[in-house]
Amino acid sequence: MTPQELVVRMLPPFGGWLALAALALPGGSPLRGAAVAVFLAAGPGVALVGLCAPALRVRPAQGPVDGRDPGFARRSDLLERLMLIVFVSVGAVMIVATVLFATHAFTAQRVLLALTVLTTLAAFCPRLRASPPTPGKPRTGKGSAL
Amino acid sequence: MAPGGSATAGTDRTPPSAEPPSPAPEPVTDLSDLPPALTWRRARAAWPAAVLLLALALWAYAVRHTDVSALDDFGLVTALHPSFWAGLAVLTAGFWLTVRDPARSRLWPGAYVLGLLVMERATQAVLYPTPLYAWAWKHDGVVEHLLTAGELQGAEQVGDMAVYDQWPGFFAAQAALVRLLGVDSAAMYMAWWPLVSSLLLLLPLLLIYRTFTEDRRLIWTALWLFYVANWVGQDYFSPQSVAFALHLGVLAVVLRRYGRTGDRRGQALWTAAIALMAVTIVISHQLTPAMLAATLLVLCLLRRYRDWVPLVTVVSIFLAWCMTAALPFLSAALPEMLRSVGDVGANVSTGYGTTPTGTGAVATSWAARLLSGSVLLLGAVGVWRQRVLRHRALPLLLIALAPLPMLVANSYGSEMIFRVLMFMLPGVAFFAAAALLPTVRTLAGEAREQQTVRSAAPRRRALAAGGPLVALLALTLAFVPSYSGKDRISYFPPEEVELVQRVFDEAGEGSLVVAANRNYPLAYASYGSVDHYWFLEDDRRHVDAIVADPAATLARDMRGVERPGRAYVLFTRGQVANSEMNGQLDGEQLERIRKSVAGSPRFRLVAENSAGSLYELRQDGGAAR
Repeated sequence: MTPQELVVRMLPPFGGWLALAALALPGGSPLRGAAVAVFLAAGPGVALVGLCAPALRVRPAQGPVDGRDPGFARRSDLLERLMLIVFVSVGAVMIVATVLFATHAFTAQRVLLALTVLTTLAAFCPRLRASPPTPGKPRTGKGSAL
Repeated sequence: MAPGGSATAGTDRTPPSAEPPSPAPEPVTDLSDLPPALTWRRARAAWPAAVLLLALALWAYAVRHTDVSALDDFGLVTALHPSFWAGLAVLTAGFWLTVRDPARSRLWPGAYVLGLLVMERATQAVLYPTPLYAWAWKHDGVVEHLLTAGELQGAEQVGDMAVYDQWPGFFAAQAALVRLLGVDSAAMYMAWWPLVSSLLLLLPLLLIYRTFTEDRRLIWTALWLFYVANWVGQDYFSPQSVAFALHLGVLAVVLRRYGRTGDRRGQALWTAAIALMAVTIVISHQLTPAMLAATLLVLCLLRRYRDWVPLVTVVSIFLAWCMTAALPFLSAALPEMLRSVGDVGANVSTGYGTTPTGTGAVATSWAARLLSGSVLLLGAVGVWRQRVLRHRALPLLLIALAPLPMLVANSYGSEMIFRVLMFMLPGVAFFAAAALLPTVRTLAGEAREQQTVRSAAPRRRALAAGGPLVALLALTLAFVPSYSGKDRISYFPPEEVELVQRVFDEAGEGSLVVAANRNYPLAYASYGSVDHYWFLEDDRRHVDAIVADPAATLARDMRGVERPGRAYVLFTRGQVANSEMNGQLDGEQLERIRKSVAGSPRFRLVAENSAGSLYELRQDGGAAR
């Protein structure tokens, strides 16, 4: 892992701990709002999608039948990753907050702390990779000429 | 030009030489030798930015010069400064010309769509000093209640409102957000939620459309049409707004990653991603999981998407939630739900108190119907004309049709027809865009386009170019009355908020608030301890009794309140607007009721301002008087 990759990987947990630190600022302050909102909207998603990205990429994506632009699929993959980052983050916030309410343990600080710990763990985990295709077993779709 | 220009220019011609030319610039004495400051090419490259900036400048001017203090029955439509309409027209024309120009950067259509979202979904947030919609205020009340209670509660504690504790995902997250931001309540930011939730839809919609075409004209025009046709107003501060975005997210993943490739690698993780989004939907909203399951089931009808894993995943999570956390609500509501299955007439009916009344309400209601009807018609035309696209994007056609059976299943509180329309829109907008773009870039389409262009008469070609622009303009402008035409009902001025806040500041536990309807801000504040009675929702005979003898009838209705609770009657302008514009009591009738209460010795005036008045039933019920 290059130093640059390490910095990128550590950004989401850093954002979480920064958001926790920002709670010391007065309520309604723009800095506190920005730190919290940015982390909740993207932090857990960046860490979790980053953790799974190599394994997710191996499954081919469907594209337009008459695709001619080689960069089109790449940009679609990027958009998909961005979408997953946002939706995984939103999902994580909603699920963690609900679990804490259901267990009578809700405080907003606990929600943020739980998400930050989750993000930190995901950032430190080795990237998940899909198993290589089974040798000697050709994949032929139904109706294939082979 | 200087008189000696030509002579000087002649000196510029250097004789041929083997020496490399000197890099030192020669003195220019003739202005004609300078490169033009703004070439035609540069001007052409800059015009999308100029048009976009002009549109946004017109919008900014409009919002600075729009007065919303005296809205009439047309809502924001008649209050908006004319420059708003000019800005919207300029934006639409700029978008249409930009998106059709193949030489343009692919970023410009996106910039125009963002401009549209600002003009569509941020205008109200900028114009109104308080958040719109009684429903948004209700959801703010639910967030407040969660924060006060600190736990999920059942019907024994909060009655009918326990339904929100059984689908708490959205509210739990908002409760955390309110505390983490350190603001007083969600009302501090919920006016901006329509813009935020609309932006959330952008990525999944883009992905869905990009699965079926590379033609950016089609992709961005479909997005544009989706946003202008999505007037239903489910973008406000609500679980539906987030659940709908996640619903589209699941569909985008399924369409892109669950085609029949025969390659199972990575599928477990994609299923985990779907499961996470499905859990989020299921814990937040009742209807969306059913819509999602119906759509995934319909997709399985296609051979190329016959992968049951996403459907089984979503249905399993949905059933698990229904059988556990949501069981109390479902077991109580099941008989009624079963009765409504098959009763299409009742399910599509919008119910009593929702009949547009008055010129403004009728006109804006028809604008909304025409907008939806036109987009549906355009979608049908697109399906009919684009034979190749119809085949290639068949999953989108099925996605558009999948919500329709819900009309047979349930009325969803008289809202089903609007929800079905919203869930159909992603598919419909794609084919509607195809109807406006006859030259879709498919192989077969290109051949037909070239043939058409060669054979068409110039007049017909001009119509082919101008007609879609006119249609797009009409649809875009129709969004405003459809979406903002009822702002007289939805907007609560600060005085109204202040008056209602007064009630809850002094109402003790066990108090009762009586009002004509629930269209006022903070209507659900303290719903765990303060009860409500909205008399226009009562039996019609009882409403007639109230109209005939208001003070005495209301006093009888309120006498069951015991100390330390108090009984209040609240009259606000929002209640009058809602009642008048939806075909219930008119303003004069409601004013007679208010005067009867004001003049009765049974009640005393607690507070009054320009937005309404608040009365309290005297502790002895006025009996001594």
